[in-house]
Amino acid sequence: MFALRFNGNLGEINLSFISASNVKYSYEDNGPLVLNGISLKVNKGEFVALLGHNGCGKSTVAKALNALITPKEGVIYVDGMDTSDEEVTYEIRRNVGLVLQNPDNQLVASIIEEDVAFGPENLGIEPEEIRRRVDNALKAVDMYDYRTHAPHKLSGGQKQRVAIAGIIAMEPSCIVFDEPTAMLDPSGREEVMKTIKTLQQRGITIVLITHYMEEAVLADRVIVMENGEVLTKGKPEEVFSRVNLLKKHSLDVPQATELAYKLIGAGLRFSKMPLNTEECIDLLEEVLSRK
Amino acid sequence: MTRDIALGQFVPGNGIVHRTDPRVKIILLIFFITIIFCAFNFVSLGIVTAAILTVIALSQVSFKLYFKSLKVIIFIVIITSLLNMFYGTGEPIWQFGIIKLTMSGIYRAVFVSVRIVLLILISSCLTFTTSPTDLTDAIERLMKPLKFFHVKVHEIAMMMTIALRFVPTLLEETDKIMAAQKARGADMESGGLIKKVKAMTPILIPLFVSAFRRAYDLATAMECRCYRGGEGRTRMKSLHINRLDIIGIAFSVLVLTGVVLCNVFIAPVV
Repeated sequence: MFALRFNGNLGEINLSFISASNVKYSYEDNGPLVLNGISLKVNKGEFVALLGHNGCGKSTVAKALNALITPKEGVIYVDGMDTSDEEVTYEIRRNVGLVLQNPDNQLVASIIEEDVAFGPENLGIEPEEIRRRVDNALKAVDMYDYRTHAPHKLSGGQKQRVAIAGIIAMEPSCIVFDEPTAMLDPSGREEVMKTIKTLQQRGITIVLITHYMEEAVLADRVIVMENGEVLTKGKPEEVFSRVNLLKKHSLDVPQATELAYKLIGAGLRFSKMPLNTEECIDLLEEVLSRK
Repeated sequence: MTRDIALGQFVPGNGIVHRTDPRVKIILLIFFITIIFCAFNFVSLGIVTAAILTVIALSQVSFKLYFKSLKVIIFIVIITSLLNMFYGTGEPIWQFGIIKLTMSGIYRAVFVSVRIVLLILISSCLTFTTSPTDLTDAIERLMKPLKFFHVKVHEIAMMMTIALRFVPTLLEETDKIMAAQKARGADMESGGLIKKVKAMTPILIPLFVSAFRRAYDLATAMECRCYRGGEGRTRMKSLHINRLDIIGIAFSVLVLTGVVLCNVFIAPVV
């Protein structure tokens, strides 16, 4: 699994953890292409946010990274393994966890700790080791005290954290989150985002698919998708400074960026684009003191 | 409203009945059911009753809950005992037309009602002291020999686990759909039985659609977590037979011996 693979160009070694090149996919034969020649790279330990409209193919990318679907054209390498290679399917699924939108539909067992144990049990790990992993995973998402509770008595944010723990227990090196906060209230959303940040600090690669610009801003890199292709990508400040492009495709930008954009349009000069409220306040103070 | 139906009704605790291996508990339940029907005279019936009451006392579950589970079957007990009372043979004590009351009929009625009550008590004891997960787990392990006959034991247990997991979720969903349909003016309270059943359609259809959607999601989530059937799967909690289980088995065997001896030496009354 640690084998390095040569990628196209002889001599150029592919060091990205995930690399997809020219991937095409459609759910039906000869149907419309959901993924239309998308290429993207994710490095080890990176936090990448994937943005786009409903139906732009974000969730399909998530499933493709996890070998739940295999590309019709093009290839996806995960840690040097081809997702189309059936021999490594389960190794890829163990290595790239997927957290879905609805926390209720991801939990299998009626006791929290048994649910978290589901993944490691499938991997055929020794009982003592499963116990250790389950305890660690529950502590990592701060749900250890709830380990003997029933899922239906938890809040949405708590359930989603348990779902995350279920993935962590398989000790993946990457976790793909498919709109994990879409069904949560603001406090649940905050809990989950905090958990995602701590996971990144532990060295887990994060791919976050989201609708919320405030969440995308936290990422190291943002990839914006449109019609199964990459529309634009880069650091959050780069991507969100392309307000015109995003607006043209009726995508949102963070509120702070939007405000600055409008002020620039009104003739003010900003040294850079703010991404959150604090930055915006600082920049506004700077602009105001200039006059 | 729907929240009242608590399936399984597990009462968390740490008494000796709780700590007994679920596999042993299931086998002993079957064992006790057999013993209940092996009691043919008052002494043996007394022994079984005493034994079951002891188990219930040890279960550390409040008697109120046991009474609650008995309340459901009180009608069945009354009806069957009444029927039995007038079906006895022998010399009638009291007669009115074709209806006659005999001693053997009364004995039979007493036995039937005591047996039903004991049956409910001991089965409730199992569900009160064993979590649903432990139950399905135990059933999976006990049914393992059936694999030889190509019974999909793991799949059955997995289905039971998922069904139990989704009972509260779907109940909650039913409440929500009912509220939504009521807000749209659906009338579910008035009318006769047929009208009421018909009124359930706008609840059942969305519920089914959503259940299928959930199933699809769950399947994806399970595949993501490397689920590929029972092959090569391990379990976090392994079950071990310990001293407590041996004591439980010994106790049951003792009760059985007592009942059998009583049956041999004392004449049966039913």
